[in-house]
Amino acid sequence: MTQSKATQSEVVVPMQSEPASGGKAHILGRPVVDVHGVDKVYANGTVALKGVDLTVKEGEFVSLLGPSGCGKSTLLRLMAGLGEPSTGKLNWWEQEYSVVGQKGHKLAFVFQNATLMPWARVRKNVRLPLDLGREKGPEAEQRIDQALDMVGLSQFSHSYPRELSGGMQMRVSIARAMVTEPNLLLMDEPFGALDEMTRNKLNDDLLRLWKANGWTVVFVTHSVYEAVYLSNRVVVMAARPGRVIDEVPIDAPYPRGKEFRVSTEFAGYCRRVSEALEVASQQGEEMTS
Amino acid sequence: MKSPLLENERFVQIAAPVFVGFLFLLLWEAVVRANEMPEYILPGPLAIGQALIEDWGVLFHGLLMTLKVTLLAFGISVALGTAASLLFVQSRWIEVSLFPYAVLMQVTPIVAIAPLIIIWVDDTTWALTVCAVIIAIFPVISNTTLGLRSVDPNLLSMFRMYRAGRLEELVRLRIPSALPYFFGGMRISTGLALIGAVVAEFVAGTGGTQAGLAYLILQAGYNLDIPRMFAALWLITFTGISLFALMVWLSDLVLRDWHESALRVEQ
Repeated sequence: MTQSKATQSEVVVPMQSEPASGGKAHILGRPVVDVHGVDKVYANGTVALKGVDLTVKEGEFVSLLGPSGCGKSTLLRLMAGLGEPSTGKLNWWEQEYSVVGQKGHKLAFVFQNATLMPWARVRKNVRLPLDLGREKGPEAEQRIDQALDMVGLSQFSHSYPRELSGGMQMRVSIARAMVTEPNLLLMDEPFGALDEMTRNKLNDDLLRLWKANGWTVVFVTHSVYEAVYLSNRVVVMAARPGRVIDEVPIDAPYPRGKEFRVSTEFAGYCRRVSEALEVASQQGEEMTS
Repeated sequence: MKSPLLENERFVQIAAPVFVGFLFLLLWEAVVRANEMPEYILPGPLAIGQALIEDWGVLFHGLLMTLKVTLLAFGISVALGTAASLLFVQSRWIEVSLFPYAVLMQVTPIVAIAPLIIIWVDDTTWALTVCAVIIAIFPVISNTTLGLRSVDPNLLSMFRMYRAGRLEELVRLRIPSALPYFFGGMRISTGLALIGAVVAEFVAGTGGTQAGLAYLILQAGYNLDIPRMFAALWLITFTGISLFALMVWLSDLVLRDWHESALRVEQ
């Protein structure tokens, strides 16, 4: 056993005080997910998460960034209720997990792979959450149409997943998440397997949808640029054990476009986040040696 | 050298093996004639063909009997085997308790227990069917069970997240995922059902109106009517190939829209 008291780094998580710019004006500040002192230890003794505290507020776009093995996916899965923390607890909308799924407290998860049912056509894949929730009728159909329209796949509703490109499959996956009209969207490196052009395009699509639908998004990525481009706030994590070591608010206004990607402001944020990440990986090294 | 027919994948797939078969028969006939082999040792294909035509009435009746047992056994194997797999995936306990007995059935030599079954089951058709089921059911059970378990874990997580019930999980996720495995099991099972039917009949030695192809082979052997023996053998082979082709076609029909096994690679 390690002397947990000695090694546990006291990280003061800087709570955002006031919205600094117009970009976050829509943040109401009501917590959507609260992570309180969560540890996650797997049966084989691996400490995936240690002492994680994190609050995601309504309307926020938060990225979890860190090296592989820092537990960012584990944390996201806990936020989705896929698994329980070893110690500590999570709250959704300041309540227990049972509130998730009720009106105004809907949650959707987008996996790293599109995770579609290969035997079902696009439309049937998108309607799956509605089928499982026994939602039928013209209103449900309309929502499917809308979701397909928003991801630009209306003409492909009768295609099979294998007939689509990787980027299009990912868009189907996003449409499937949208169809329940989620309040909280959890995304686990959704664009990690795509080429950069497609990725940039989907990033813009995602920001547009986030704004239009008033989602709260938690986005796991290992790309500094993606995290900075998308988020209100980048949460930097370190590995062994997985923990939060820094938070960088990104106060640039939305909509963010091509100009933002090449601006000095963007470069500054990227540098700031990269430095935090550097510290994160160094700390990880120290822990193992 | 370019010929549109040879470019056609389907044509080549059929024509090439047919050509090889034709060559083989030609060689066979030539060897028999060159060595002046007597018919009771090795008849040539022409003599066998003649027996096939002359004895068609008896042979066709035998074929129907064998086919009846084969199809009954295959149908029962698919139905019972699928039911067993569905039961196995419901609980680890059930699977752990029962699966060894499925294996036991598979490894028991059917010739050794066929006489017992023939004593126990009065009706000959059913006795033969039971024997054939015992060897044909295992691939259905093992493949379907594997398929029902081979589900994308992320899709499973999603079903759990949307609070899908067990039945929904089974119908919407596990069964479609299992289909390619299920058809794989069926392909093996048809062949085994036929082998089971023939082996069981050899042991039972049923004559009279119940006589299937196996009994005809036995009888022809006693009478040294070797061309008829070969004719019956050809019919068994032909039945096996046809059943297999039928299964391939059926699996292709169901899976061709989405599964990799049924995709045609365009050159």
